[in-house]
Amino acid sequence: MTIPANLKYTKDHEWVRIDGDIATFGITDHAQEALGDIVFVELPDIDRELEAGEAYAVVESVKAVSDVYAPVAGVVVEVNEELEGEPEKVNTDAFGGGWIAKVKISGDGSLELMTDDQYNTFLEE
Amino acid sequence: MPDVEIALAKTPLFDAHVALGGKMVPFAGFEMPVQYRLGALKEYTAVREGEAGIFDITHMGQVRVSGNDALAYLQYLTTNDVSKLVDGQVHYSALLNESGTFIDDITTYKISDNAYYLCINAANRHKDVAHLQAQAAGFDVSVVDESDNTTLLALQGAAAQAALQPLLDTDLESIGYYKFAQLRVNGVDGIVSRTGYTGEDGFEIYIPNAIAVNVWDALLQSGAVPIGLAARDMLRTEMGYALYGHEISDAVTPVEAKLMWITKLDKGDFIGKAAVETRRAEGPRQRLIAIKLVGRGIPREHYPVSVDGVLSGEITSGMHSPMAGGVALAYVQPGHAESGDLSVEIRGKQVAAERTTLPFVRSNVRR
Repeated sequence: MTIPANLKYTKDHEWVRIDGDIATFGITDHAQEALGDIVFVELPDIDRELEAGEAYAVVESVKAVSDVYAPVAGVVVEVNEELEGEPEKVNTDAFGGGWIAKVKISGDGSLELMTDDQYNTFLEE
Repeated sequence: MPDVEIALAKTPLFDAHVALGGKMVPFAGFEMPVQYRLGALKEYTAVREGEAGIFDITHMGQVRVSGNDALAYLQYLTTNDVSKLVDGQVHYSALLNESGTFIDDITTYKISDNAYYLCINAANRHKDVAHLQAQAAGFDVSVVDESDNTTLLALQGAAAQAALQPLLDTDLESIGYYKFAQLRVNGVDGIVSRTGYTGEDGFEIYIPNAIAVNVWDALLQSGAVPIGLAARDMLRTEMGYALYGHEISDAVTPVEAKLMWITKLDKGDFIGKAAVETRRAEGPRQRLIAIKLVGRGIPREHYPVSVDGVLSGEITSGMHSPMAGGVALAYVQPGHAESGDLSVEIRGKQVAAERTTLPFVRSNVRR
């Protein structure tokens, strides 16, 4: 799986795409691979204020329950409701249709973000 | 304290699992595959939708009981009525403490009047064997732990018989549900029973370790799909079958675990009988119920269960069933088994649930 160049990555294997003041969040292909078949995604409420590093969603695979952390601070403006019916999209299209939430960036903080090259190196370490 | 590295055992099929992409995890003292490349959901689907799934369950233990007093001994040690077994028949049973709580749940195979074979849970093996041997004093029996020499495979699903038959001379059609045949496979002894823990037709196959890889490979050649622990637990839970450490433990008796059907109080004395009779007269201390989530989420083990807003118990096994949704088994207070509004606490929120009946999905075992 190619790691997209237009996204930034965290050490917890989340990705973020920043378009102006909107940030889109998801988990990486490596993360979904490690979790296995995802059967449930708990989405955050709209208007929820998130700090960077705050657990904002939960993905559940057959055997495990995992928190998902916000790469940057912001207010939730949209969630991927398709995941309520098709949580497997996180497995099949982690960097695209498997996105989880969009926030309006508040500027109140960010986790350490890596470029695609840096994340690739991080995965190989 | 210094770090202690606990050595995990490997079954004779360890390398085969790794070669198939098995994700190996610690389980009951063994390194076992939780899933293969296909993934848990597709493995589950293969078994439920007409294929034959093959499971390495060699972690389970086997004990051979033989001697003139074998029947009297097993009548005293186990809950089910061993006198009702005919040669070549298996039944589900249990070992209890004097307090009536579970040491283990087991299956008992009757080979002949003086020879029986027990299949026991991996995590309880040493405890069970110690108990079986300690209780053998005064009986003319020999109790031999054959676990280390025995590979146990389960072959489950509608295509199981077709996949297994080419390997054997025995006509599998002649083996009924909870019946078994003794085999010679490549000149060595084995047992094949029409049993399993998935709710599908299928077999459990006991063979010496020396031929484990050959039989495994032959079954894969026959089209069997390797299935890991995750899918196995899904299949088990959908049937509502009890699992030691979950629904069954040394904290509950058969009265709580809904296992009075394998506890024959009219067969004569057995260890734990008096305590079970007392508990039955007093009533269960908790009740095992089957529940289905109405709201969204996955009910999981240990999640609290409330009735009419009051904490009543907890989930013992829970899952997302592709066919039935969020389903679970739970112990609740006796007065809450039949009425009152149920909810399951998931990450601090109460999610509505309702009582349902078992199995959660249709069983396809051959009766």
